[in-house]
Amino acid sequence: MEPQASRLMEVEATNPVNLPSKPNFEPLKAHEISDGRVQFRKVSVPPHRYTPLKKAWMDIYTPIYEQMKIDIRMNLKGRKVELKTRADTPDISNLQKCADFVHAFMLGFDVIDAIALLRMDELYVESFEIKDVKTLRGEHLSRAIGRLSGKGGKTKFAIENSTKTRIVIADTKIHILGSFANIKIARDSLCSLILGSPAGKVYSKLRAVTARLAERF
Amino acid sequence: MSNSNPNNGGLEALHRLKSTEPPLFLAPSPDLSQAARLASKYVFSLLQPHCPKSPFDNLLVDEFDAEQIWQRIDIQSQPLVSNLRRELNKFEKNPELVSKGFDRFKDEKKTQEREIEEQYDEMDGYYDDDGDKMDGLDDEEEMDGLDEGEDDDDDEEEEEEEEEEKGRIAGIEDRFLKVKELEEFLEDGEARGYGLQKKKGNRKVDKKKKSEGSDEEDEEEGEDDEDDAEDEDEDEDEELGDLGFSDDDDEGLDKLGNARLMLWTRLVRGDKAKIVVDCCYFGIIMIEEKGFKSKSKPIKESEDSDFGNDEGSGSMHEEILSTHEREHMRHQSDIEQMEKVNLEPKTWTMQGEVTAAKRPKNSALEVDLDFEHNIRPAPVITEEVTATLEEIIQKRILEGRFDDVQKPATLPSKAPREYKEMDENKSKKGLAEVYEEEYVQKTDPASAPLTFSDEQKEASMLFKTLCLKLDALSHFHFAPKPVIEDMSIQANVPALALEEIAPVAISDAAILAPEEIFAGKGDIKEEAELTQEERKRRRANKKRKFKAETAKRIANKAQTTIWAKLRIIVKSTAYMSSINKKNPLTTEAAASLLPPDNMPAKTPITAAVPQLTVPGNLVLP
Repeated sequence: MEPQASRLMEVEATNPVNLPSKPNFEPLKAHEISDGRVQFRKVSVPPHRYTPLKKAWMDIYTPIYEQMKIDIRMNLKGRKVELKTRADTPDISNLQKCADFVHAFMLGFDVIDAIALLRMDELYVESFEIKDVKTLRGEHLSRAIGRLSGKGGKTKFAIENSTKTRIVIADTKIHILGSFANIKIARDSLCSLILGSPAGKVYSKLRAVTARLAERF
Repeated sequence: MSNSNPNNGGLEALHRLKSTEPPLFLAPSPDLSQAARLASKYVFSLLQPHCPKSPFDNLLVDEFDAEQIWQRIDIQSQPLVSNLRRELNKFEKNPELVSKGFDRFKDEKKTQEREIEEQYDEMDGYYDDDGDKMDGLDDEEEMDGLDEGEDDDDDEEEEEEEEEEKGRIAGIEDRFLKVKELEEFLEDGEARGYGLQKKKGNRKVDKKKKSEGSDEEDEEEGEDDEDDAEDEDEDEDEELGDLGFSDDDDEGLDKLGNARLMLWTRLVRGDKAKIVVDCCYFGIIMIEEKGFKSKSKPIKESEDSDFGNDEGSGSMHEEILSTHEREHMRHQSDIEQMEKVNLEPKTWTMQGEVTAAKRPKNSALEVDLDFEHNIRPAPVITEEVTATLEEIIQKRILEGRFDDVQKPATLPSKAPREYKEMDENKSKKGLAEVYEEEYVQKTDPASAPLTFSDEQKEASMLFKTLCLKLDALSHFHFAPKPVIEDMSIQANVPALALEEIAPVAISDAAILAPEEIFAGKGDIKEEAELTQEERKRRRANKKRKFKAETAKRIANKAQTTIWAKLRIIVKSTAYMSSINKKNPLTTEAAASLLPPDNMPAKTPITAAVPQLTVPGNLVLP
């Protein structure tokens, strides 16, 4: 027995194994993840956003190309905005963010509002239609849209300011950009407006909610 | 005699005094006073030879006060009265001595007895008088307790004994000391003193006389003197005979009237002994307590002052009680009396809680009641108090120091919190910036941007502070720094951030208090939390407000419509007038308008200016 143990020990003692050092991998680049292949995104441009896109092209292009390191180009023929990863794109999610950013712009949001998508992760865009909430026809629909906006847009702005969201009312479609909880609050307010409650009521609710939001922390 | 004329005058005066009604004496009358003076002078002079220690020869009444006259009479009569008392006792014991004549008494006995009696009097004088009282008392209904046993029987028995023992002891006796008499006297006094009840007594009559005697004591003293004067001349038998006068009918007659009658008759006849006894009776009764009941039998008038008429009470004296037994008996009587008092219901003042129903009417007024006054007594407003108050007021007015209540300067209770109003304008910041600010606030509170965006506010604050400093420098009067509303920049850092990161630069004091962020006004509860009643209440409130607002709006609108309509009318009228001025009709046109009559064409026809009339159908609201 003893010689075995000693042998074992000898074995260990005589053959000190040189364990390889832990490998130190660098994070993969987007390029490498996709195994060298390039990834694309294509965002179509609706006709009513064509001119604004032309006006705001540089504001869109600069942050995407400079900071996100994503290639962007406008396909005039196909009326699409195309995005492509580069070799030095740091993160694969950048592409998606840029795509969302451009998409938000196409929906109708301002560049400065849509830029938030690039900077923050937790922002989302939610879209729904008026008919999802309540079936309205003809004048009722028009009145509902009018109620949503308010006089000079004040109701919409009030909701935007109090809930830290941005709202786009495109005929019967409504788009809300913001964080998840804020989207919820804005959506509730808009739905109540659609359903017929007057603006004052919505304001009072908003006030209560924002006060509670403010004191949350 | 010098006295003869005054004597007649005096007698006459006496008669007159006697004849006047007693109430007349209550009113001062110079007539009566003159008569009284004369009478007193007469009596005084009569008595004067018989008084052993009289300092005055005659009573001078002319220019002296009633008080002074009285004092003199008193000086004379005091020893005289005691003298007479002694003599009476003597007579009581030895009625036969009375009959023997006055001469003996006058010269010898009088002096002897007087001295002896003086001694005894001083020793037992009180008891003696007591005994006299007892003889005279009765136990009729009204006299409860005041009546005492009378020792008339005693005296009679003693007389008998005395006669027996008369001859025994002769050795010690001399002019001054009679042992027999001494013994008898002592026994007599003891018997009376220890409350042996006597059977005799129409004390009622005596009582009345005593009462009478008290009322007329002043006069009686005067009359006493008179009686004394006549005593020497009178026969004792006569007196005794008087005592036997009307002894049967006392009860039947009106006692008071009878007593009076008796008193006056006695006066007339000089029944001095009666009067003296009455006085003595009354005086003693006033002093002594009741306590002796006596078996009542209407005493005969004669027995009132006749101490020799003992009848049946002699049996009580047969036992000679020891001192202890006598004490014992005395105590027993005291105890009985006290027990009797205790058994009776107490007076209302000695009972505990007494309501008004339990005590006689208005009895609380007669008793000194002691209260605890818990209320401070109201201040008595006197002239001095008013004067002091007015002084204070005047001084204050001159100083100008009114204690006016000054309103405290309302300080801002809390810093004006950062109030985010509902901004209905398009926000100038992009969404990214909004979130950026939020994020920065959460993570790095020190570098958080200023909470109020208005730079103008900051500028105004700075200017205010500057102005304050300049004012402080330029003014002479010290004005303390006003408390400027704390518009300090408070980084509204969430408390959670502070707790987590705890930067040094910002302390807990820097953050807004929860009350500042959200004061509990308005609808706190969310709709989901409300109960049915609360929902109803909220709805009702809103309806009320809405109604008020609509009413106001309608009122405003109505006003505006009225104004608008008025304006329209005015404008229309102005327009019409302007039209007419612009286009006056020419003559031809006017002519053409007119019907083709032979109207003169030369004269210009003023255009038929359409009359401006307010059409009737225009209804002014």
